[in-house]
Amino acid sequence: MSYLGGAFSTAERRLILLAALVLLPVFFLPVLPVWHMKLWAPQYREGLTMSIYTNTIRGDLDKINTLNHYVGMKAITPADFREFTYLPQALTGLGICALLAALLNRRWLALLGWLAFTGFAVVMFADYANWLYHYGHDLNPRAAIKLPTFTPPLIGYAKMANFKVLSFPGAGTILLGIAWALGPIVLLLERRAARRKKAAVS
Amino acid sequence: MKRAIPLLFVAALLIGLASQFSGCAGAKGGDAASKTYVKPGEYDKYYAFFSGGHSGQVYVYGIPSCRYLTTIPVFTPEPAKGYGYDEETKSRLGGFTWGDAHHPGLSETDGDYDGRWLFINDMPNARIARISLTSFTTEEIFGPIPNLSAAHACPFPTPNTEYVFAASRFSAPVPRSKASKIEDYAKDFNGIIAGVKVSSEGHMSLGFEILTPPFDWDLADAGKGPSHGWEFFSCYNSEMAFDSLEIKASQNEMDYVAAVDWRAAQKAVDEGKGDIIGGVPVLDPNKVKGIIYLMPTPKSPHGVDVNPTGEYICASGKLQAEVSVFSFKKMIDAIAAGKFDGEKGGIPVLKYEDVLEAKVPVGLGPLHTQFDDKGYAYTSLFLDSQIAKWKVGPPWNVADKVDIFYSVGHLMTSEGDTRHPTGEYLVSLNKIAKDRYLPMGPSHPEATQLIDLKSPKMEVLYDFPTYPEPHYAQMIRAEKLKPLKIYPLAENKNPWKIMTAEEARVERKGKRVDVYMLTIRTHFTPDIVRVAQGDTVYFHVTNLEQDQDITHGFGVLFSSKNTQVDPGETKTIRWVAEKVGVNPFYCTNFCSALHQEMQGYIQVSPAGTPIASLQRPDPKKLEEVIALLKK
Repeated sequence: MSYLGGAFSTAERRLILLAALVLLPVFFLPVLPVWHMKLWAPQYREGLTMSIYTNTIRGDLDKINTLNHYVGMKAITPADFREFTYLPQALTGLGICALLAALLNRRWLALLGWLAFTGFAVVMFADYANWLYHYGHDLNPRAAIKLPTFTPPLIGYAKMANFKVLSFPGAGTILLGIAWALGPIVLLLERRAARRKKAAVS
Repeated sequence: MKRAIPLLFVAALLIGLASQFSGCAGAKGGDAASKTYVKPGEYDKYYAFFSGGHSGQVYVYGIPSCRYLTTIPVFTPEPAKGYGYDEETKSRLGGFTWGDAHHPGLSETDGDYDGRWLFINDMPNARIARISLTSFTTEEIFGPIPNLSAAHACPFPTPNTEYVFAASRFSAPVPRSKASKIEDYAKDFNGIIAGVKVSSEGHMSLGFEILTPPFDWDLADAGKGPSHGWEFFSCYNSEMAFDSLEIKASQNEMDYVAAVDWRAAQKAVDEGKGDIIGGVPVLDPNKVKGIIYLMPTPKSPHGVDVNPTGEYICASGKLQAEVSVFSFKKMIDAIAAGKFDGEKGGIPVLKYEDVLEAKVPVGLGPLHTQFDDKGYAYTSLFLDSQIAKWKVGPPWNVADKVDIFYSVGHLMTSEGDTRHPTGEYLVSLNKIAKDRYLPMGPSHPEATQLIDLKSPKMEVLYDFPTYPEPHYAQMIRAEKLKPLKIYPLAENKNPWKIMTAEEARVERKGKRVDVYMLTIRTHFTPDIVRVAQGDTVYFHVTNLEQDQDITHGFGVLFSSKNTQVDPGETKTIRWVAEKVGVNPFYCTNFCSALHQEMQGYIQVSPAGTPIASLQRPDPKKLEEVIALLKK
C-alpha cells in the first residue's frame, strides 16, 4: 500500500510527462490517423486508401463504397460510428490523467491511468474487429455479386476477391503505443533504482 | 550468256533503285525507333494539338510517340463524346453542323505557351473557339464575327493573349447583307481585319475591325519582344480578281504583308473613330491613320512568321523560291520617316527595299516558317517536298534540307512560334499521303512526319497518318498542362444538378417534362419515366461518380439523342415523345461489370392519358439506392 502512495524520482516523472505530452496534442486535435487500410485491384494499381482518425474516416471512401456495393457491403459512413463522438475525449482524458500523475507526483494516479489506458485499448481493438466482422458478414442478400462472408484483416495482408488488402497502424497508434509502453518502462526503472539502493544499503 | 548480260544489268539497276528508295525513306531503322519509343504506361513529352480541318475538330497527339490521344469536338457534333447533342453544346454550335478548323493557337503569357487555352478558327463561318486545356472541352465559340467573310488569318494570339485575330479570306460586300454586283468587286467589296479581345477569364469580344481593299487575307502572326503590339497579316490577290483567281490573282510581282498596330486600332475605336457597319465599329484607313501599313511582298505570300526575338518577319512568297525577311526596326524607321510609296484603300504602302533585311533562297514553294532555340528557321517547301533549315542572321544561308513525303503545308517545331522554342522536334504536316500507308481506298488520310532537330542534320523519325485534315498544329511541353481528372461535384453549378436519390424525380408541367436523373454504377435513378405522347422531355442527368474515367452515357433508342456525362457533370438532353409505346434508354459508355444492366424505360401513353405530375422512383428501389449513395 505504501508503494501506491509513493512518489516518482525526477527521471520517471519526466517520462510520465512525456507520455502525457504525446497523448495530449495528438488526440486533443485529431490530426494523425490511427489506422490505415490500403486496397489494390487490377484497375486500381495506384491503390485506394481508407484512413481512420479518432473522429472520422478519410480517403477514397466514395470509391470504395461504390465498389463494395457490388457485393452488397454496407456503405462505410463516418456518421455510423458512435466511437468518433467519444474517442478524442477519452484519449484526452487519459492524457490529462498522465499529466496530473506527473505534476502531482502520485504513483497511484499513474498506475490507474495506465490500467485504464490498457483496458481502453483492448476494448477499442475488440470494437474495431467487430466492425470489420460486421462489414464482411452483414452483406445485402440482394447484391449483384454473391460472396462468401469474410472478415477484412485487423492488421496485415489479405486477398479478397480481386482485391488485395493491407491493414496497418497509423502514426497516431504508433505514438499511442509509445505512450503506453512508457508505463512498464517507468516501472522497470523504478525497480532497478530500488535494487541499486538496496545494494548500496547492504 | 548473251542474255545474261542484260539480266545482270537489270538486276544491278534494281538493286541501285532499291537502295535509292530505302535512302529516301529518311528514317534510319532502330536508332530512330528508340527516339520515338515511349514505354507502356509512360507519358509523352509533348501534347500536340492538330486542327481537324473540315472535320471541324481538334486532334490531340503525344510527341514523340506520335500516338493519337483524343479528339476534342469543336465545330461539329461528335457522338463519341456526346458533343452537340445536349442542350448546352447544341446551342454552342449555333445551328452549324460543320466548321473548317485551320489554325490552333495556344494561349501565351510573355510570348510563351501557358497551357490555359487553345483557340482555333472556323474559317468559312468566321468563328473562333476557345478550348479549355484543363477540361479538354470547347468552352466558347465566338462568332460568326460581323462583316467577316471567312477567317483564315486566325486566331494567332498575341504574346499575353490580349487578342486573337480574324481576317477575311474571301472578300465580300461589307456589310454582308449589301446587294452588290460581283463585277463591282474592286469598288464595292472589302476585306476586314478584326481584333478580338480576350479577357483574363478567356472570354472573347470584338475589339475593332479595319476595312481593307478586297485582298484575300491569308495568314498572320503576332509580334513579340520589340514588335509586341503589332500583328502581321499576309495577303494574295492584290490584283482584286473575282474570277479565275488561279491565273488572275497570280499576276502581280508584289502582294502585301500588313502590319497592324492593335493598340492604336483599339484606341481609335475607343475614341469613337469607327463607323458602325453591320452593328460594329469599323475603322476606315482613309479616315483613321496610324493603325495599319502595307509591306510589299513578292509572289502571293502565304505564311508570315515572326522569329523568337521578334526582330524579323519572315514572309514566304509561295510562287517563288525565297523567303523575304523584313526587319521590324526598319519598318518602324520607315514609318517614322514617312517613307511611303502611295496608299491602297487609305493604307500607307512602305517600300520593299526599305524594310527588307534579307532574301533567303530556301527552295520552291515556301509556305511556313518556324524556329528552334539555336537561331535557325525551318521553312516548309510545298513544291520541293522538303523542309529547309536556314540561319536567321548573316550569312542567311540554308544549312540543311530533308525530304518529306509529300507536299508539306504547315510545319511545327516544338513551341516553335514562341519566344523560347525548345528545338527538339519538327512535325511536317504533309498534304498528300499517296502511298505512305497500307492502301485504304481512294480517300486517303493525311501524312505526318516527325523530324528530330536535336542534331545538326534533320532526321525523319516517324510517319503517322491523321484523319482529314490537319492544317496547322502546335505542341506544348506536357508539364505545362494540368488537366482535370474528374469534375468535382462540389463545383458543379448546373441548376439541374441533383446530389441525392431522394431528389431524383420526374416533374410534368403541361407538356413539359423534367427528369432529374442520377447515374452511378450501375443504374439510372429514376429508371422508369412515364410521359404522354407529344410531351417534350428534358433529361437532366447528373453523374455522381467521382472516380477517374467512369463516364456514363445516356442514349435513347430510335432517336438522335446520345450524350456522355463525365464524372461530376450534369447534362440536359431534350427528347420529344413522338410515338405511343415504350422506349428504352441505356448507358452508351462502358462503365463497369454491370454496364449491360444500366438501362431504363420511357413509357409513352396516348395524348390525354392522365400522367402523374410528380413521379418518384419505387420506394423499395429508392431505399437500396439511398443506402448505396449514403454520404
